[in-house]
Amino acid sequence: MKKIKVWFWIIISVILSVTMVSISLNWSRASVTDLTKLHNSRLSPVIMIPGSSASVDRFDTLVKKLNKNNRNPHSLIKVRVTTDDKLHFSGRLRQGDNEPIIVVGFQNNHDGYDNIKKQARWFNLAFKSLTKQYAFNNFKVIGHSNGGLIYTTFLEKYYASYSSQIKLKQLMTIGSPYNFNEKSVRHKTQMLSDFIKNRDKIPSSLSVYSVAGTETYNSDGLVPLGSVMAGKYIYQGRVKHFTTISVSGSDAQHSDLPQNDQIIDLINRYILDPKQLPKNLQNTNNLDNSPKLK
Amino acid sequence: MDRILNYTVKLRRSRMTKIVRNTLTILFPIMLIGSFAEVLKFTFLTKNGYMARMFGIPYWLPFNNELNWIMGVIFHCTIDMIALYAAYGAAYFTAKEYKKDAARAGAVGLMAFLIISFQPNSAGMPDFSRFLMSEGMLIALVVGYLCSRILVIFGNSQLDRRNQVILPVIIIIILSSLLNFLGIVMIKLEIPTYVASFVMQHTQINALFYVLGMGTLTDLLSWMAVGGPFTNSPTFTDTPSMANLSAALKAGSPWKVPYNFTDTTLFHSFANFGGTGVTLALIIAILIFSKKPRNRNVSKWAIFPAIFNNDYPMMLGIPVLFNPIYLIPFVVAPLINMIIAALFITLRLIPAAVYPVPVGTPGPLIGFIGTNGNWLTLVLGIFLIILDVLIYMPFVRLSDQISTRAGQINEED
Repeated sequence: MKKIKVWFWIIISVILSVTMVSISLNWSRASVTDLTKLHNSRLSPVIMIPGSSASVDRFDTLVKKLNKNNRNPHSLIKVRVTTDDKLHFSGRLRQGDNEPIIVVGFQNNHDGYDNIKKQARWFNLAFKSLTKQYAFNNFKVIGHSNGGLIYTTFLEKYYASYSSQIKLKQLMTIGSPYNFNEKSVRHKTQMLSDFIKNRDKIPSSLSVYSVAGTETYNSDGLVPLGSVMAGKYIYQGRVKHFTTISVSGSDAQHSDLPQNDQIIDLINRYILDPKQLPKNLQNTNNLDNSPKLK
Repeated sequence: MDRILNYTVKLRRSRMTKIVRNTLTILFPIMLIGSFAEVLKFTFLTKNGYMARMFGIPYWLPFNNELNWIMGVIFHCTIDMIALYAAYGAAYFTAKEYKKDAARAGAVGLMAFLIISFQPNSAGMPDFSRFLMSEGMLIALVVGYLCSRILVIFGNSQLDRRNQVILPVIIIIILSSLLNFLGIVMIKLEIPTYVASFVMQHTQINALFYVLGMGTLTDLLSWMAVGGPFTNSPTFTDTPSMANLSAALKAGSPWKVPYNFTDTTLFHSFANFGGTGVTLALIIAILIFSKKPRNRNVSKWAIFPAIFNNDYPMMLGIPVLFNPIYLIPFVVAPLINMIIAALFITLRLIPAAVYPVPVGTPGPLIGFIGTNGNWLTLVLGIFLIILDVLIYMPFVRLSDQISTRAGQINEED
């Protein structure tokens, strides 16, 4: 009787072990495939968030201008997050494009700190889904107006769980009112205080560019210059590089900033990956050459 | 041989041993439940746990978060502050050995340990050193014992009855506050980062000896209930692991990586089956060779946690802690495992385990998953377990003999 019991347990444990081994093997193969895909991915998207009251179409002009005269245009993918946490994708990744532009917009695109916190959570949902679909290991971001605030919230609250696998290289905020409509940091809004309090969570390897538009000497017509400049209290000394740039001249009004030619130039220079040198400079035998050089 | 046996029996019957054994006995049920909760929480209900990953448990189990919370509470109040109970037990049983008021001694011991590990947090709320609470069992035993001895000394003195109680408590409070002030709470073994940098800066052969040494130190320290340089599960975030992983992903296979000998590739993959000291082998050895119903019973309870590398029930139940009989196999078995594994890696028979494994992956599967399913690694793991069972065998028999003889002598008294 005792013998039977012993054999029973031995058989049970052998069956269980074999099951565990095969399940583990399956899992391990899948996991390594995913890791390899992620590690060897050459994809490096630029993810943009528009400001309040704007839709996912906000950057269409910007992307058109970026793609002008570009032999390898950036694909444009749009993600709209509705208030029920659902994601709606449009556009697709063109084959051979390693630097797609992804715009994430929200159904609830209203102003105010509470909405920004909600939008940051929605952005996190979209971002998680994007990382799964496109398996990129680094990315760059641009936020216009409140988009920059949503990114700051995202970096301080959600990014830590990705940071070991997916590296954020550059952040550009365009006319982002870090202190809302306050002209002076003597009156800190709740949001700015929170941003400063949690700045340690922002990755220290990041390069940040804060671009301000100036229509008058102290405003872009909507956002006070002092509010944009308040970003330094969050980023300066925390990230690797923090640069503030103010732009004036035509299209320097708050809402025109995304299609301002100077800003597009800045994006080309600081945010996008350096263009691979045209083939003719690398390979003299290539006949298809010169006219494309700017 | 007979003399060693008799000596061990004598040791077994000394006051010190009795105090420690009795304390461990009251800790055992707490630790057992705690280890079940720990395994359920971190391996079954948390997303990056082994069972959770394999079966997607958190995604379909109803009330997963609630269960996770409950298991967390149980874990934190048992295993995570086990030293607290140890301080109480040590003080209680010391006083009992000296035939004094044991309950009072227990309370005083508990208080002394709380004072020593007190560390207010930034909000000013009372908080206690995590290291002392969870890994400071040895310190707790000493604190409890000393408190009790002070109480006993005063209890036997010529002072009048009131002073006999108040004076020692005052002295103990002052002494433990001083210890707290001197920063004993700051004690922490911060070796892991050092291990990583050593492995990177030295040649492979030096790194090998270093990992073997640190592994042995870890086993030795956990035999004394102190956390050693290597943590209980591989982290995969240290620099050599990242470098290994990155090299393997680039090459598409784990055969050519910069650091073949690290705590992950040797210690966690081959020397930690069922927890430190290859506890899984001890359980099997006891189930096969031991005739003591108590030990067999403890081993059966300990199987479930040990599958997921949780060795607490065995450490306290048998007990392995402070047990001179099991010290040798507890240190030697993992060492032999690491040496054989290192040999296999050097001869390029198996690759290094570089891919990350989920938390609580059963011992022999760590190397298997870590090499992305190298069959020889799995076979080697199973072979090593059998070898370790054979290493433990004579000691299990010796332990049986000693407890039989200790029992006989007890009856003669």
